[in-house]
Amino acid sequence: MTPLLRIQQLTYNPPKRWEYFSPRSDFVLGPVDLHVNESETLAIIGSNDSGKSLLAKLIVGAVKPSSGEIILNGQPIGTHQSKARANNIRMVFRHSAESLNPGISVGSMLDEPLRLNTQLSPAMRLEKVMQTLSLVGLMPDYYYFYKHMLSDGQQQRVALARALILDPQVIVADEPFAALDPSVRSQTVNLLLKLQAELGLAFIFISHNLGIVRHMADRTIVMSGGQIVESNLTQTLFTAPQHPSAQKLIYAHNSMLKF
Amino acid sequence: MIILDIKNLTLEIESNGVLIKALDKVSLTIQENEIRALVGESGSGKSLIVRAISGALPPQWIVTADRLTWRGQNLIKMTRAQRQAIMRRDIAVIFQDPMAALDPSAKLKDQMLESVPREFIEGRYAWQRYASRLSISHKILHKVGIQHVEECINKYPHEVSADICQKFMIAMALVSQPTLLIADDPTRGMETNTKKQILALFTRLNKTRNLSILFVSHDLLAISAMAHSMTVLYCGQTVESGKMKAMRRRPLHPYTKALMDSAPSFSPDLKPKSMLVALDGTIPTLQHLPIGCRLGPRCPRAAKECVQMPTERSINQHTYRCHYPMHVEPV
Repeated sequence: MTPLLRIQQLTYNPPKRWEYFSPRSDFVLGPVDLHVNESETLAIIGSNDSGKSLLAKLIVGAVKPSSGEIILNGQPIGTHQSKARANNIRMVFRHSAESLNPGISVGSMLDEPLRLNTQLSPAMRLEKVMQTLSLVGLMPDYYYFYKHMLSDGQQQRVALARALILDPQVIVADEPFAALDPSVRSQTVNLLLKLQAELGLAFIFISHNLGIVRHMADRTIVMSGGQIVESNLTQTLFTAPQHPSAQKLIYAHNSMLKF
Repeated sequence: MIILDIKNLTLEIESNGVLIKALDKVSLTIQENEIRALVGESGSGKSLIVRAISGALPPQWIVTADRLTWRGQNLIKMTRAQRQAIMRRDIAVIFQDPMAALDPSAKLKDQMLESVPREFIEGRYAWQRYASRLSISHKILHKVGIQHVEECINKYPHEVSADICQKFMIAMALVSQPTLLIADDPTRGMETNTKKQILALFTRLNKTRNLSILFVSHDLLAISAMAHSMTVLYCGQTVESGKMKAMRRRPLHPYTKALMDSAPSFSPDLKPKSMLVALDGTIPTLQHLPIGCRLGPRCPRAAKECVQMPTERSINQHTYRCHYPMHVEPV
């Protein structure tokens, strides 16, 4: 079976700027190889400054990679700004609350990607927005709501709806659970699991919460210093981590579990 | 011995001519040498309790309490100066959001040096005293786990990462060697390794220096790793409190049960990718608080009586406020 999304030898070198006084940063990401299958969940864990968020941004195309290939459904997504990527790989940002525009209603927020990326008529767009709202468990009334009228969990749902509205195949989420309270977090986890079962989404997420990673992810990738140091099935990784930095993370997590 | 005793603390905020009870009869005690966790979701008033203890509330908010005492001295009746003296030497507070709590216009070094208490500084002349301040700061910064102290200390808060700021806040709180440390969400946004370091530091200080800690957080994993006892707060009401072990083994309030279920790490036999048990809805805003037990509209066990505020009942130092607790079968 060919994987849905395959990333080959992806690297990123930060642009060299002429900064005489400040020390030159020598952080380099990659080369990174990874692949995701349909309806599979891939988790990325790692310590701070290990390049997790950067990798997510490279996958969705928010940052232009220095070299390497991203192959979706066997088709390389060559250029940085391609329509196929915009429609099929969507991102949920780290702070969903701050990534929503406070000045426009939820409806127009969701309408915008449709208007820019599809040929749908206004009536069809409205129908699609309503459909997506009900998919993430929001009432149709929320079309007219603004960001400040929503609670944390609902904002997270809107952020997710915005990612889902173009019927993507891959969703990349950067710490989607970090800012949420426990009960709302459980709701979001349930929602994602439900959506994945229904729509067959591939889901790549970054998290510090190893409990949730263990619960949700099929495979887990450990990053350290811009490199993927270990990649394995979640259960295998959590029972027997190989690389020192993976061991450090997982033993720290397990030591907190002991009572 | 009880060092901090709070009984029926009520905090009222006036909004559009109506008094809203942001905190409703909150009770909390901290024993000497105890780590107590205060658990609640955002908007449940955890930080308000911290601010009520430290006296950092705006004067127009009405605080009433049957007891709010520090080692038997009434904190509410106290003069400002007396209260400040206690806050300076006995209680240390790590406020939420270190980036906002640190002064953006001063270097971390200056802020750190300023927080060293005068009693600890040795030397007679200014340069000796400066050196003494500096060495005390360095020691404590090493202790909280900042690796490159020399690099960080000359920077402004915005130049270093959030977890270094957090560690600076912790260092500033610990430098006065307090009896009680109030930590308001100290591990938020930290990665697992750093979190573990901080928790290990707290546990060590608790064992070696007899430091009592009020650990305010909603990270149940961190709490269960270190706390001795726990108080659960929902919407400004204490719903349950007791020993950590007992609460983990058998929570009595439906909300505590839901909180415990929300952490998949706590249930090892949970199948991966299975649905988690979650309460419907979200925490209500202050303008729309339900009457009686505030969990009412979300509670799976709610019934008619729940519009009345349940009285506090207790079994073996395990107190709860619920009409239909988990150990009683619903009728």
